[in-house]
Amino acid sequence: MIFGLEGAYFNLGPIPVDHLVVTQWVIVAIIGLLAFFATRDMQVCPKGLQNAFEWIVVWTNDFFTSLMDKEHIAKKYAPLLSTFFLFILCSNYSGLIPGAEHINGFQPPTSNWNVTVALALITVLAVQSAGFAEHGFHYLGHFVSPNPLMLPLNLLEEITHPLSLTVRLFGNIFGEEMIIAYMLFLVPFLIPSALMALSVLLGAIQAIVFTILSASYIAAATGEGH
Amino acid sequence: MGIALGAGLAVSIAGLGGGVGMGVAGGKAIEAIARQPEVGGDVRTLMFITFAFIETLTIYGLLIAFMLVGKM
Repeated sequence: MIFGLEGAYFNLGPIPVDHLVVTQWVIVAIIGLLAFFATRDMQVCPKGLQNAFEWIVVWTNDFFTSLMDKEHIAKKYAPLLSTFFLFILCSNYSGLIPGAEHINGFQPPTSNWNVTVALALITVLAVQSAGFAEHGFHYLGHFVSPNPLMLPLNLLEEITHPLSLTVRLFGNIFGEEMIIAYMLFLVPFLIPSALMALSVLLGAIQAIVFTILSASYIAAATGEGH
Repeated sequence: MGIALGAGLAVSIAGLGGGVGMGVAGGKAIEAIARQPEVGGDVRTLMFITFAFIETLTIYGLLIAFMLVGKM
């Protein structure tokens, strides 16, 4: 149940499509439709949805600029990082729909290993390509800094980053879902709602943490000093 | 029996270390904010990053516990 994909609805080429994939499609559709309606007829004096989205864009640009020091890097990667945040937040909250633990189709996608591995691999690609785009082939020099003896440790660090991103998100959301499910089994009324209230906070914090850590990895790869 | 004990120990020892670490880090962060409230935003961001790193180690223990329970 933890590691395998089972109960696929149909196959899309070699890829089995199960309830997690469908949930992710729905999340992508919701975010995409919101963005579409916010930017459909844009005005100079924004109001309503467009205003809210402009506030989000300005705020995230400022936030990532203060976090990553270099403004052009922050401007370039703020869309990716904000999308991480929105997607992970919606995924985490999709498990909070009442009774979601009992219905097969409503497991949060981030409580599955495969989804978080995919997210972490996107971060790895972004980090390495950001490093190459900023420093060119001098970027390879940071693998042998401060001296070539550190090469294995530096390579290990590059592997540990996605591993820890994966395991943190997966472990937190899966653990939380398991605890709520056990609580629903033990005490069917009232008590699990306290844990669900806690998991509202936890879901938001995990989304923020994933985003901030991705941002700081990109900042470390593009920063000076190697 | 052995596997159940191992799963319990894995998560409890990992939680013990992580709890002490988070207590120290959070306490120092609050001290810093109380002394210099104007750097509150920066300290809060760094505190969350630190928490994430500490928490990873605890989550590794939790993961081992899940794997062991799956083997039972």
